[in-house]
Amino acid sequence: MKNLGIYVHIPFCRSKCEYCDFYSLSGAKNKEFMGKYLSAVCAHMKECAPMAEDYVVDSVYFGGGTPSFFGAEGLERIYAEIKRRFYVDKSAEVSLEANPDSVSLRDLTKLRKAGFNRISLGVQSDDDLMLKKLGRPHNYEQAKYAVAAARRAGFENLSVDLMYGLPNQTMEGWENTVKNVLDLEPEHISCYGLKVEEGTPLWGYKDVAGLPDDDKQADMYLSAVDILQNAGLHQYEISNFARSGFACRHNLKYWNGDEYLSFGPTAASNFAGKRFTIARDLEGYIHGIETGGVVLSECETIPLRERAGEYVMLRLRTTEGVGKDEYMKAFLLPFAPLEKLFMKYEKQGLAVIENDRWRLTPKGFLVSNAILVELLEAQQKSTPLSKKR
Amino acid sequence: MTDLSKIRNFSIVAHIDHGKSTLADRLLEECNTIDPREMEDQILDSMDLERERGITIKARAVRLNYTADDGENYVLNLIDTPGHVDFNYEVSRSLTACEGAILVVDASQGIEAQTLANTYLAIDAGLEVLPVVNKIDLPAARPQEVKQEVEDVIGIPAMDAPEISAKNGINIHSVLEMVVRDVPPPTGDREAPLQALIFDSQYDSYRGVVVYLRVKNGTVRAGMDIKMMATGATYKVVECGYLSPTGMVPAESLGAGEVGYLTASIKTVSDTRVGDTITGAENPTSEPLPGYKTVQPMVFSGIYPADGSKYGDLRDALEKLQLNDASMSYVQESSIALGFGFRCGFLGLLHMEVIMERLEREYNLDLITTAPNVVYHIYKTDGTQLEVYTPLNYPDPAEIEHSEEPFVKASIIAPQEYVGSIMELCQSRRGEFKDMSYLDTTRVELHYHMPLNEIIYDFFDSLKSKTRGYASLDYELIGYRPSKLVKLDILLNGEVIDALSFIIFSESAYARARKICERLKEHIPRQMFEIPVQAAIGGKIIARETIKAFRKDVLAKCYGGDITRKKKLLEKQKEGKKRMRSFGSVSVPSEAFMAVLKLDD
Repeated sequence: MKNLGIYVHIPFCRSKCEYCDFYSLSGAKNKEFMGKYLSAVCAHMKECAPMAEDYVVDSVYFGGGTPSFFGAEGLERIYAEIKRRFYVDKSAEVSLEANPDSVSLRDLTKLRKAGFNRISLGVQSDDDLMLKKLGRPHNYEQAKYAVAAARRAGFENLSVDLMYGLPNQTMEGWENTVKNVLDLEPEHISCYGLKVEEGTPLWGYKDVAGLPDDDKQADMYLSAVDILQNAGLHQYEISNFARSGFACRHNLKYWNGDEYLSFGPTAASNFAGKRFTIARDLEGYIHGIETGGVVLSECETIPLRERAGEYVMLRLRTTEGVGKDEYMKAFLLPFAPLEKLFMKYEKQGLAVIENDRWRLTPKGFLVSNAILVELLEAQQKSTPLSKKR
Repeated sequence: MTDLSKIRNFSIVAHIDHGKSTLADRLLEECNTIDPREMEDQILDSMDLERERGITIKARAVRLNYTADDGENYVLNLIDTPGHVDFNYEVSRSLTACEGAILVVDASQGIEAQTLANTYLAIDAGLEVLPVVNKIDLPAARPQEVKQEVEDVIGIPAMDAPEISAKNGINIHSVLEMVVRDVPPPTGDREAPLQALIFDSQYDSYRGVVVYLRVKNGTVRAGMDIKMMATGATYKVVECGYLSPTGMVPAESLGAGEVGYLTASIKTVSDTRVGDTITGAENPTSEPLPGYKTVQPMVFSGIYPADGSKYGDLRDALEKLQLNDASMSYVQESSIALGFGFRCGFLGLLHMEVIMERLEREYNLDLITTAPNVVYHIYKTDGTQLEVYTPLNYPDPAEIEHSEEPFVKASIIAPQEYVGSIMELCQSRRGEFKDMSYLDTTRVELHYHMPLNEIIYDFFDSLKSKTRGYASLDYELIGYRPSKLVKLDILLNGEVIDALSFIIFSESAYARARKICERLKEHIPRQMFEIPVQAAIGGKIIARETIKAFRKDVLAKCYGGDITRKKKLLEKQKEGKKRMRSFGSVSVPSEAFMAVLKLDD
């Protein structure tokens, strides 16, 4: 039996944050659609389940939007549907994204009992003024409460999301944020550099928002890597840090090229050799599921050669890195053209080799796009190894 | 064939922007030559580029039928000419096909540098010069003063010059009457052996070379065997005829005094040299007509395809372009940094810009241009002399005895309040003041001797900006003078980028070196490592800047839904990189090359 991850997108939020370009609705539309959406997702799962008969589900992830805002009852019902339609392993990782303003001890206890065992809290900052500026619907006091509540409810795998490169953020401010959050003793922390996306409110005033420049962001990143490493949270991906054994199993599937099936608008799947994405349209999704219409916006079969590119692009996000033999065996391509570049990066302090696996250093992660462009170019030019008889 | 006494061959000369092409439009309309539905502005400027820039690049000939006030029908051959100094040679060529020239002077601007230059060309060619004062409807028009200026400065009668507005069609009729009255009819013997002057040629992919000619003596007919006197090549005329504004109109023959075209299945433009005389193969004339001095390109620049694999495309494009613009020259050149390309010769910077734009537009090429340079004369210690067209061929300094660079006589006309800043500018460009004279109470003409090299960069732009656009410039080559020259090399990451090297007057080297390093720093994007940008003479570094390594180029988040997007993003980044040239490990966008060319103060 093969392993499978399941992702459920919950496209609802209390309010939209200034920087966010994820697909979610907020305000009056929420109530109107939540019920219908619940039914649609369940129907969609029923429809897809036969394709996944040979799979065992070892991770389930509720992302958003704000899953906690959807309410414990709805989440429970969807998870029940998953368990009903798919073969879910007993030790599966079942994650939930939550915002500090939409969790209660009562709800968390219910969810924990229902089988949720990992919670990822969108804390972002310990500075209330900053949180307000970003349009977050909570303060740091609520965040601390949420952590405590999750612990009380029995969550032993807890993650905190943080952001750096925020308006007028200083190095000192950021380092304090990291240290304060470490005091909450999470098993896992994600640190994301703020990226100003076109179409978000922040885009409109980015030039006057006092955003730290790239050099400052880079310094903040490197400093966080250091502090977290010293606190025992090891980096396992560009933006992710965890105590041993607490790396997010579901997210690792994305970077390892493993299979996952996803539900809800904008959700993307990698399943049976194909990558496909559901359209960015909640009503269209509900309607499509109800009437048996099309809900996908993109679907492509990925040829081996392109998988080889994905492997380099995704694996190098992780501290596992790329393996020489693994690469040659899986894609029948020579590793030498890549190795030549890796050796150059090694000299520049951007990459290291350990146990025949190349990985990027934190400095290398920071410029990984440029590195990937070079590696992919070299890969494109390489000729396949002759197949073994 | 039209009776000689009923033919008038004339051109219009003027300073750029004084309304030459607009007047041509009006004359065409007045003669009902064009269906109003087909009329568009600047109809003789058929290149898009000419219309967009509002300039005439190529000379055009067109035949008008005009019934004058005396009741007679006349054939008027109008030859439009470019106004910009770069295209002076086009003007002089066109003029030899005419007996008269209309001199258009802007009623508010008065005489400008090229008004003078072009008028002198016309007078030298023995033409009757007929002034016309244009733009009289402008509030700032001062037609009387301008006429006085023409009489005083040029010395031709102007008091009866028509006062017109080409734009609004005022008094156009009087211009035509003046042409009929004052332009002398052509002379010539239609029974004599054929003598026809080639004043232009153009390549047409269906007919081969189309030759534009003015018949001076004899008659040319379809089916006749003709000979090019300079090259000796012979052809059978396939077709001859007149040039109407909308195309070619075949005719049985063209006789002395007439202007028209012929085709003869000519494949190579070089066989039909502009300025050559065409005669009959059977009954040739003994005397060729006085030709033109061949045009010498003055400015040279390396042109390379931004994508090295497009070298063949660039070669084909240059070949085709040269068919229609013989004044451009090119030879193959190769640079370590840019690979294969061409060293191209141009008449001036505008000419260069026009060619570049046509290559990019009409042939869809992305190009990298190296800094333009003039032709230097290098005298080596071993007694040999070298003409250096490219920094790539600059000899080892130890082998150089002395060097010379071309000088021009520059003539600048401007309102007197700008004299101070013009003098300052000319001095900073190593100009040697010759004289200054008042054209009228407010405007002066200055003469300078200057190195051509100082003019080809951005002199004209600086001059315009220092005089709020009021100054006009004309220049002509006066010869070579000894000069202290050095070759300046640019190094990126410690490697000399030969395509960025240039030859410069030694005293200007330091300032230029600093500026170029700054420019490159601005235009080369930060890369994964620190890049020193240095300028050196010989082995000695004289300027340095550093492009700091970039620190951050990462997609912080990449989960399920981001993977396809991330792939596209990297693909885009890869494409962007392809548009850059890599030197060793440094990627340089083609804009960086252009930025080095434009060094305004």
